[in-house]
Amino acid sequence: MFSWDLLANAVVAGVLLGGFYAAVSLGVSLTFGLLDVVNIAHPAFVILGSYAAYAMNSSFGLDPILTGMLLTPLFYVLGAAVYQVYYASFERRGEESLRGLVFFFGLLFIIEVSLSLTYGVDYRLVEAPYIGKSIELGGVGVAVRLLVPFAVGLAMTLALHLFLSRTFYGRAIKAVSQDRLALRLMGANPVRIKTIAFGIGIAAASLSGALLVTIAPVVPSTDRDYIGRVFAIAVLGGLGSIGGTLVAAIILGVAESLMATFFGPSWSLAVSFGILLLALAVRPTGLFGR
Amino acid sequence: MASRIVVHNVDAGYGAVRVLHRLSIEVREGETVALLGTNGNGKSTLIKCIMGIVRPEAGEVLLESDGARIDLTKRSTEEIVGLGIAMVPEGRRLFPKLTVEENLLLGAYRPGARGDITRNLAFCFEAFPVLRARRTQLAGSMSGGEQQMLAVARALMSSPRVLLVDEPSVGLAPILVSRVIAKIKELKDRHHLTVLMAEQNFNQATKIADRAYIIVHGKIEFEGQSMQELRGNELVKKYYMGL
Ligand SMILES: Nc1ncnc2c1ncn2[C@@H]1O[C@H](COP(=O)(O)OP(=O)(O)O)[C@@H](O)[C@H]1O
Ligand SMILES: [Mg+2]
Repeated sequence: MFSWDLLANAVVAGVLLGGFYAAVSLGVSLTFGLLDVVNIAHPAFVILGSYAAYAMNSSFGLDPILTGMLLTPLFYVLGAAVYQVYYASFERRGEESLRGLVFFFGLLFIIEVSLSLTYGVDYRLVEAPYIGKSIELGGVGVAVRLLVPFAVGLAMTLALHLFLSRTFYGRAIKAVSQDRLALRLMGANPVRIKTIAFGIGIAAASLSGALLVTIAPVVPSTDRDYIGRVFAIAVLGGLGSIGGTLVAAIILGVAESLMATFFGPSWSLAVSFGILLLALAVRPTGLFGR
Repeated sequence: MASRIVVHNVDAGYGAVRVLHRLSIEVREGETVALLGTNGNGKSTLIKCIMGIVRPEAGEVLLESDGARIDLTKRSTEEIVGLGIAMVPEGRRLFPKLTVEENLLLGAYRPGARGDITRNLAFCFEAFPVLRARRTQLAGSMSGGEQQMLAVARALMSSPRVLLVDEPSVGLAPILVSRVIAKIKELKDRHHLTVLMAEQNFNQATKIADRAYIIVHGKIEFEGQSMQELRGNELVKKYYMGL
């Protein structure tokens, strides 16, 4: 049952979804792509951000996305603390590859279980004036609850790109995994640089969590749907490339949306891995990898 | 701003292996001093001691600056860079996946150098025009000679008072060696730098050095107060200059 209307709708929805996927993946591009830290707990921090937005929304009626923005400093500090523990326990001793992975897996598990114990396993949702509204764009109906996260995702991508390319901290973050001693010879402390970057990655995760709960209700285990997606996007974009992350996220968003429209939603998740495998076979450095 | 590096009776090494034995050198304000020695005699180790990368087991490493004596053995490498000491490391150690320009801007990371970025960048591009032409190219994709120029330029971006250069000639064709060495001299004259340069290439180093130390098995075996004195020394002629 193909129709051009359906196609146009699916593409537009996919692009908007892609902007949101970029927001979810930026932190992984930063920590995995630039710091070589395999933070598989990233999606758990996304969901933590979702629940924080939910809690403020349901108790005080605060706008979820505004809450997400206001809470970023808190999540930055949380991320910085997590990196300090990770550094002191694993990285400093050169044990990060396997034990570090276990550490982040444990963190993911702890966050998920804590959320389940606190909020139960019912779906939680937020209320905001723009949720449920829809506007007409060139003959295609667009849900505003997708449009707002898309715009915030684009803004986050642009902000991170400017930060990395225009500031001293940003350039040091791009350099830190290439040669730590050389970075010290520039006068920068690699551990401090990685702490800052990791804090930013977790802050971005939490804000994208607020976007997520705006788009759809969440349960504590929703994070599992995103582990594959975020790493697929970060790798496909070319590790560490922020512009590449956005492009890869939109490709994935559109592909998933087309699959869901024409073949049914259960195909969507398989798409991310299909694309990842295909991309790695053709171009191992990703779309924009250096 | 007068600054002088004093290394006094330093013992240093790696774990149980002692490389430097009661070694003393001094690099005075505005001088270019060559640290000459063949492979494995401890030149890099000495430079690493000054930069706080290797910690001496005994002895002193001091930066004397405007009457103040700063004990470098108690400072981190980052702090030492912050004091205005820059190092061009052995093997260049550029950031290969960053562009030429990004490498240069990282050279200006220390707060004391950020205000001079425009001036220093213009100077580096004038001294090494190839860097301007390649500013958007990835550092790792440049030739060895270009990379060495970038390594020197990146160090200069930190507005150093003291420049430590570890074997700028390694891996370069002879004509490039001459060029890089000549450039270091030119930069030194214009920036009133104090320079310590480790080299195995005696003939090249003697072109720009005011004086030199010869290091053998981690000890200073000979100290020439001028290059004539060094060239006139029979031992040096015989073993190091192939004359
Ligand atoms: N990281 C290290 N660990 C152990 N030994 C080292 C290390 N670096 C250098 N050495 C040893 O120290 C000695 C002096 O090395 P180095 O200072 O690099 O000499 P040079 O720069 O004059 O070639 C050599 O015997 C070398 O094998
Ligand atoms: Mg050496």
